[in-house]
Amino acid sequence: MSDKNKSLTVFKTDRHEDIAAIVFSGLIVVVVLTYMAFIVPTVNIKVPLDGKLVEIFVTEGSDVAKGDKLYALEIVKKKWVNNEMQEKVVVEEFTAKTSGKILKVSGNSGDDLKKGKHTVVVMDHQKGTLP
Amino acid sequence: MEDKGLFGKILAILPGLAVMIGTLYVLRMYVEPWMKDAVVFGRKGWLVQVMSLNYILLSIITGMVYRNILFGGAIPGWAEEGFRTTRLFIKTGVIMLGSLYTFDKLLKVGGVAITLIVAFVFGSVIFVLWLGKRMGADRSVTAAMAAACGVCGVSAAVATAPGVRAKPVDLAMAIATILGFGIMTMFISPFIGKALSLSDYQFGAWVGTGILNSGQVLATCLAFNPVFAPGTAVAYGEIWNVVRVICIPFVVFFITAWYWKGEAEAEHVSLSSVLASKFPIFVIGFVGMTALSSLHVLGAEGSETLQLMREVMAWIFGIGLVGLGAYIDVREIKAAGGIPLRIGLIAGATKYVLALIIILAFIPKEGAF
Repeated sequence: MSDKNKSLTVFKTDRHEDIAAIVFSGLIVVVVLTYMAFIVPTVNIKVPLDGKLVEIFVTEGSDVAKGDKLYALEIVKKKWVNNEMQEKVVVEEFTAKTSGKILKVSGNSGDDLKKGKHTVVVMDHQKGTLP
Repeated sequence: MEDKGLFGKILAILPGLAVMIGTLYVLRMYVEPWMKDAVVFGRKGWLVQVMSLNYILLSIITGMVYRNILFGGAIPGWAEEGFRTTRLFIKTGVIMLGSLYTFDKLLKVGGVAITLIVAFVFGSVIFVLWLGKRMGADRSVTAAMAAACGVCGVSAAVATAPGVRAKPVDLAMAIATILGFGIMTMFISPFIGKALSLSDYQFGAWVGTGILNSGQVLATCLAFNPVFAPGTAVAYGEIWNVVRVICIPFVVFFITAWYWKGEAEAEHVSLSSVLASKFPIFVIGFVGMTALSSLHVLGAEGSETLQLMREVMAWIFGIGLVGLGAYIDVREIKAAGGIPLRIGLIAGATKYVLALIIILAFIPKEGAF
């Protein structure tokens, strides 16, 4: 029952564990990048911050290139300036990270959207690139 | 232990690992969302926002409950091998955290981190060596406590123990004291940070300097702000943590040299041999990940690819932290006592409070990135 007298690792030594951690993290990176570049069928682009949807610049069926504007979000930006928290309401435009085709657009101007929950655009990205 | 072969070893890991993953799944998918919506004292989300009870702290608490209540004080044999993957997950998470930085960002805060960490690590070691002598502690006990209080708690104490002839009981006492102190600070630091309106930069720098165990530094930063992104508490705290972990071989050398200098039959210790045997090479993986991020191989900031990478990172850490909790044995901590406890508490509290004062006095709220 007791684990007191046993090593804290399943590996032979701490060095082996370190190497295993490097291999494991490398493997995770490879799997994530391969999945996103080649396997994921469509990409659901969600809002990265809480905010109010101001405008959607793309329409269903349109093609977009990397860097094209997708949507604009009104957000509250918080920043420490001279040791004081300053809050500013700004409109930030979010762009496509890769080329592709817009499959679906959801949401209307004025909608309050929650970070990581609401999908604004569904996109079929160019295979081999990272959306 | 009998040799089970690779397949047998993997099979032995599965039950414990399944418990860790299953626990995290329930906590992230059901418990935390429920707590975010629960109204306590008339405020929605009080448990998460005020008590900092996000999935990170819940993972550790659940792990502690497993070991100390459900398992009756020891991880049972069927789950033991799985729980022993805990450090693998934490180290993997630390390596993946390298993706939050680029080299220019590291350079921006690296100087401050190195200055603070080196001053605090070696300051604590020298303080404990002095304190041990003043309290009349055995030199081996003093050396083990100096390693535990100076740098990275458990790892440094374990690495130093053979070189300073620390008995298993000395080592266990040093680890119990440091872990006990770390658990306390892990739960109170987010409250102090919020009460003092510390920014993520200040909080990460404070916790990275003042808390002694890598897993506890990460957990405390994530309790303060659970977001994995550049500019968050965990991003800053991890820079401090990595700098401190790199100090381990130097501290081991320093303490071992101090120990043998005072012994009749002096034994030669060389820095190169200590560096070769004790350098934590997983740090190379962290630097490699930062290199990939600097080359923009991992996707653009704000991309869905990076979002997925950070989500995976959160799961990796969560699994490791369930395991970390399960390695906290309340009985062992209760058994800590005598001079090691006094040395540990004095040194730990001094370091923790002094780090806070220095951060408040010299570190601005606005982060470097």
